[in-house]
Amino acid sequence: MRSYRALARAAARAALAYRLSLLLGMGAVLVQLVALLAVWRVVLAQSPINGFTWPQMRAYLLVAFAAGIVVSILGDFRMAYRILDGDVALDLVKPVDYQKARFAESLGGLWIELALIGVVVGVTLAFTGGVDLPAGAGAALFVASMLLLVPLKFLIVYVSTLACFWTQNFMGVQWARLAVVNLLSGALIPLVYLPHWLATAAQWSPFAGLTSTPALIFLGRVDAGEGLLLVAVQLGWVLVLWFGARLVWRAALRRLTVNGG
Amino acid sequence: MRTARLYLRLLGAHFRSLLEYETDFLILAGATVLMQVVNIVFLAALFAKVPVLNGWTFWSVLMMFGAVALAEGVGSLFFDGMWNLAWHINRGELDYYLVRPYPVALQVSSAALGINGLSNIVTGSLMIGAGLAHSAVDWTPWRVGLAVLLLISSVVIKVSINLATNAVCFWLSSPSPMFAFAMHQVGDLARFPLSIYPLALKAVLGVALPFAFISYFPIAYLLDTGPSRWLGLLTPLAAVYCAGVAALVFQRGLRRYESAGN
Repeated sequence: MRSYRALARAAARAALAYRLSLLLGMGAVLVQLVALLAVWRVVLAQSPINGFTWPQMRAYLLVAFAAGIVVSILGDFRMAYRILDGDVALDLVKPVDYQKARFAESLGGLWIELALIGVVVGVTLAFTGGVDLPAGAGAALFVASMLLLVPLKFLIVYVSTLACFWTQNFMGVQWARLAVVNLLSGALIPLVYLPHWLATAAQWSPFAGLTSTPALIFLGRVDAGEGLLLVAVQLGWVLVLWFGARLVWRAALRRLTVNGG
Repeated sequence: MRTARLYLRLLGAHFRSLLEYETDFLILAGATVLMQVVNIVFLAALFAKVPVLNGWTFWSVLMMFGAVALAEGVGSLFFDGMWNLAWHINRGELDYYLVRPYPVALQVSSAALGINGLSNIVTGSLMIGAGLAHSAVDWTPWRVGLAVLLLISSVVIKVSINLATNAVCFWLSSPSPMFAFAMHQVGDLARFPLSIYPLALKAVLGVALPFAFISYFPIAYLLDTGPSRWLGLLTPLAAVYCAGVAALVFQRGLRRYESAGN
C-alpha cells in the first residue's frame, strides 16, 4: 500500500512540475464546454427541448466538463510511450502490480483536477447564473456515481492504451477512443437526443457512466430507483473491466518484445 | 517553382516511408473518419430538434465543420513538420536546416507528413460539397472563382496560424508544442457560427486568432446568411496578413535560436 501511495504522490508532483502543460492539456474539454454552452444558450432561449431547459443544460454541461477533466492528468501518453519504448520492462520488475500502480498514479492527480474543476465551474456559474443542487437520495447517488466514474474512466483509458502492445500507432487509437467516448457517454449531446436505438445501446455501454449517468442524476431526470439501476450498471462495468483488463494484460505481455536493456 | 518541386520531393521521401506501415495508415484514417462521423451525428441530432441556429441550417453548419476539417487536413498532410519544431528547438537540432540552401520554415514543415490529413481532406470536402448541394447559391463563373479563392485563403490562414503558434516555441523552449496545440483546439470554436459567442470570443476568433476566416466569414458570404456577410470578402486579405505575421514571428524566433553545438 505504501508503494502505491508513493506512486500517487510522485504523479501529483510531476503534474505540478509541468503546470503549463497541465492547463493547456485541458484545452479540448474546455473548448467543448464553451462551444456547447454557446450553442445551447441560443437553442434553448425560446423553449425547452426534450425536457431540457437552459439552466438544466448548463448544469448538464458542467457535470460533463467535470467528468471530462477527472483522471486526465499524465495518464495515457506516458503509459503508451513506456510500452512503445520498451521502458515498460522496468515497470515489470518492480514489486508492484502494474494495473494497480497505474491506477494509483491516476488517483494522485485527482485533487489537482478537482481544484481546476472548481475554478472553471465557479467562473461559469458567476457568468451564467447558478444551478439547482440535487437533494437527499439524488445527492447521495450523484456522489456514488462520480466516485465510480474515477475507476471506470481509468479502466477505459487503461485498456485502450494496452493496444500499444499490438500497434505502434497510439495516436489513432486515442483519437478513436475520444470520438467514441464523446458521443456514447453523452458528453457531446445528451443521449435522449440521439436516435432511439443508439441511445439505448449507449445507455447500457460502459461509456454512459462517464457523463450521462452522473449528469442525469444531478439534474434529477431519473428517480431514485432508476438512478440506483444506472449506478449499478456503472459498478458492473467497473468490475467487468477491472478483471477484463487483467486478461488483456496477460495476452499483451506475451506480445512484448524489448530490445536490449 | 524550384522551391515547390523540392518541397514535394522532401515530402515524397516521408510518404514513401509511411507506405511501409500500412496498418498505421488504416488506423489513423479510420480514427479521423470516426471523429467526423461523430461530429455529423451530433449535428444531425441537434438539428433534428431545432431547424436553425441563429439563422444557420444543418447544411450550412456542416459546411463550417467541413471547412475546418479541410484546412486542418491540408495542414496535416503537407505541413505536419511544424508540429515537431518545438522538439527540434529543444534538442538544438535546427542546425542542419540552417546550413541547407532552402527556406528554413519550409524545411521544418516538410519534415513530416500526417497521413491522417488525407482522410480529413476527403471528409471535409464531402461535408462542404454536401452543404453546397443543399444551398441555393446562384453559381456564376465569377462566384466559382471567388469560392476557390476563399477556400485557398482559408487554408492559408490555418497553416499560417499553425506556423506562428508553433514558432512561439522559440520563446517558450518547451519540448512539446502544447501552446500551438491549445490554440489549434481554440480553432474548433470556429466550427459554429460566430454569432452565437459573446463579444470577447468574437474578438478573439475574428481578430486576434482569425479562425473565423477559415470557416464562418467565407461561408457567410457564399451563402449570403447572417449579419456582416461582406466580411467574408476580407478572407484573402486576412490570409495575406496571417502569412505575413507567421513569417515575421518565425524569422524573429529563428534569431533567438541557440544551437546545442553539433
